[in-house]
Amino acid sequence: MKVLAISSAGGHWVQLRRLKPAFAEFDTAYASVFPAYADDVKGHRFHTFDDVSRFHKERLLTVPFQLLKILLKERPQVVITTGSFPALICLVMAKYLFGSHTIWIDSIANCEQMSTSGRNARRFADVWLTQWEHLAAPDGPGYLGAVL
Amino acid sequence: MIFVTIGSMFPFDRLIRLMDQWAAAHPSEEILSQIGDGTYIPEHTPYERMMTPSAFRQTMDRASLIVAHAGMGSVISAAEIAKPIVLLPRRADLREHTTDHQLHTAAWLRDRDGIFVADTDQDLRVMIDKARAATLAHAELSPYAPEAFIRNVRDLVAASRSRRSSK
Repeated sequence: MKVLAISSAGGHWVQLRRLKPAFAEFDTAYASVFPAYADDVKGHRFHTFDDVSRFHKERLLTVPFQLLKILLKERPQVVITTGSFPALICLVMAKYLFGSHTIWIDSIANCEQMSTSGRNARRFADVWLTQWEHLAAPDGPGYLGAVL
Repeated sequence: MIFVTIGSMFPFDRLIRLMDQWAAAHPSEEILSQIGDGTYIPEHTPYERMMTPSAFRQTMDRASLIVAHAGMGSVISAAEIAKPIVLLPRRADLREHTTDHQLHTAAWLRDRDGIFVADTDQDLRVMIDKARAATLAHAELSPYAPEAFIRNVRDLVAASRSRRSSK
């Protein structure tokens, strides 16, 4: 089973790192923003891409190509993320270009409502989760626990 | 040593400036600021723009107090080594972040052991004093998510295999 676990830097990455044992038995590659993060996932393939946000819109032109390159290399059966906008782009491409199974776990930082990317992920995520029980709803997002 | 960190994504000059002023008033304190892409350069504390995870961890280990934005990376990293942390949430109206979720995070975390939330700029030094006076006895947070959630996520990934093979 080929798995790609992807998120942007900082808190998203720290949350993904806390899920590492969940991916241990699979052929898992990781992707994030800083090359030095490879140290956190020694023994796994690690790829990097640039961060994109509403403050860095110009990177919208280049980041999809970086993500496509990662997907071409990995051809993951499952793409799983703890959120961020570039991860959403990756999820969409993985689903439609590679037929990957997609899992969105919204960051625990979003305790009053799903993140913007998280809300948009609804249409592209085969499994769509919040880490807050009170934000879960019968028609989604689901709740299966939290990294804390 | 007090470690000031603003995370990996956006600058946070307001916090760096406030801590620079605090440093000027407390010359005997050792402080290190991680300032990201900020334009404000601290005059009274040494600084780094970005740190590798291992340098970040070493600095966290060496610090007696963390002063940070209300980002989950900083909060979880401090909890994993049971260090007290003072949080100043980023505000969207000051273009410090794209949304106000750090205010929500801070409200949620406010009463936890070892977490001290500064609601205003003036509040920051009050919270630093409180954090330094507090004797903390909370345990280190495990480096991994609770077992039940790990199992659920593992099962989700494994289930996508059977879904695919049944197609």
